[in-house]
Amino acid sequence: MKKNPYKVLGIKEGASYDEIKRAYRELAKKYHPDRYRNNPLADLAEEKMREINEAYDFLMKNAGGSYQYQTGYEQSYENSNASQSSHSQQYQSQQQTGSQYQSGYNTRYQYEDETELERKVRMFINSGNLNEAQRILDRMQARNAAWYYLQGLVFLRRGWYDRGYTNIQKAVNMDPTNFEYRNALNNLNQQYTGYRQNYYYRNSYHNNPDMCNLCMNLWCADTLCECMGGDLIRCC
Amino acid sequence: MFGYVEPDKPELKIREFDVFRGYYCSLCKSIGKRYGQVSRLSLNYDLTFLYILLDSLSTIPASGRMQRCMVHPLKKRFIVSSNIFAEYTSDMNIILMYYNLIDRWKDDKNILAGTGALAMKRAYKKAKKRYPEKCEAIESHLKHLTELEKNNCDSIDEAAEPFASVMRELFECGYIKDENERKTLGWLGYNLGRWIYIIDAYDDLEKDAGQKAYNPLISQYGYKGNGDGIGDFRESIKEKVNFTLTYSLSEAEKAYSLLGIEKNKGILDNILYSGLIARTDRVLRERGRENEKESV
Repeated sequence: MKKNPYKVLGIKEGASYDEIKRAYRELAKKYHPDRYRNNPLADLAEEKMREINEAYDFLMKNAGGSYQYQTGYEQSYENSNASQSSHSQQYQSQQQTGSQYQSGYNTRYQYEDETELERKVRMFINSGNLNEAQRILDRMQARNAAWYYLQGLVFLRRGWYDRGYTNIQKAVNMDPTNFEYRNALNNLNQQYTGYRQNYYYRNSYHNNPDMCNLCMNLWCADTLCECMGGDLIRCC
Repeated sequence: MFGYVEPDKPELKIREFDVFRGYYCSLCKSIGKRYGQVSRLSLNYDLTFLYILLDSLSTIPASGRMQRCMVHPLKKRFIVSSNIFAEYTSDMNIILMYYNLIDRWKDDKNILAGTGALAMKRAYKKAKKRYPEKCEAIESHLKHLTELEKNNCDSIDEAAEPFASVMRELFECGYIKDENERKTLGWLGYNLGRWIYIIDAYDDLEKDAGQKAYNPLISQYGYKGNGDGIGDFRESIKEKVNFTLTYSLSEAEKAYSLLGIEKNKGILDNILYSGLIARTDRVLRERGRENEKESV
């Protein structure tokens, strides 16, 4: 049994188009494959994304707003899958570029000059067999940019972020022109800032009082005093 | 090294705070009932978080009632009714605390820790009987940790691995039937454990430098000396530590997102998105002094 598409998007039944779109965008950001790159749970996030896309397409096709879920969601569900709306297709193509680095060794044009061993390492990283990937890396002779990059990926997957970052940084330093390495480094920094800027931990009580605050308080105090007939700051 | 996982209290709603405390009290009561009053002293917030997290995976709403308890005899408080997860986390709490006390007794012959371990020995044996595999796994991780410390391991990643694995073990609770959920919980636990281990190391820099005790940050970034200039050292590694801590939290948060929890969402969101990062900033900023009394 498929899940209720409204539930998948976390909205009330009969929500308007705008509400559906907003909820969809929010969730698509949350489970975007870019966020789950180098994460052992990437496959689960992908599955979730698929669920969200399906629910969104279904609701967009079947008149979001007035449509009642109980009446034959099942039958029309398949139809909506066959022809996906453009919006979610856009996300899906992003999804593909996002996972390019995970299933990277399929895209031949980028890794033409790779040795057989490197290709194997990528394969093992993708399948989550980190010990085997590490074993091959240890056996490899050359310590070039590609080696540091792959070693970095293995560390990241293990949860060894300090070494992971250092290795990828090194790969970028050795080969600054390589788009893939730079992209991976940027992604790491993005995850860091993304988490820090999250939600309600922003400019709240944690910040110390600043000059603006001080002036504001003085002005308020002055106004209050004037209300009562007195005056705190004579010039205003 | 416990007690770092806490909500950002000023941002909690009062109702949420009551429920959070309700869970805490419930766990405390469960420990008291099953392991005797002395063991109640060992409870900490990290395990309370685990209890709330596991309980929130089931969709049955949390129920409870106003009760009195021995620790707060004057006022009745809301206490969540005990269930299988309360039992599980209280068992894990006993096991973890016992190992912690034994470790401190062995390390610096702390009399208090030794007595505590002795007092908790019976409770520990009882808990071990219920979860022999978990205990075995935890023990082997901790043995590994002792070895790394003895060899003065100079990588924070490697040094954090055993404790993070212990937390993964705790979070992968056997009562959660869905395999994907268990795996997700495990990754959450691993990253949280890693965060706890490293933040604790940063918090203890002065103390460890003074006593010449093992500290992974001192080993990795090569601080030499016994206490002087530790402030500068602390500043010099701050950005790196900040990155690794925050990144661990971001991975924990990703795992949490995948669980898609609705129950107790306010409390859990508060901890994951606000409490942990606020705690990180406090430790990074405050030179650790004020936090010493808070962590066991």
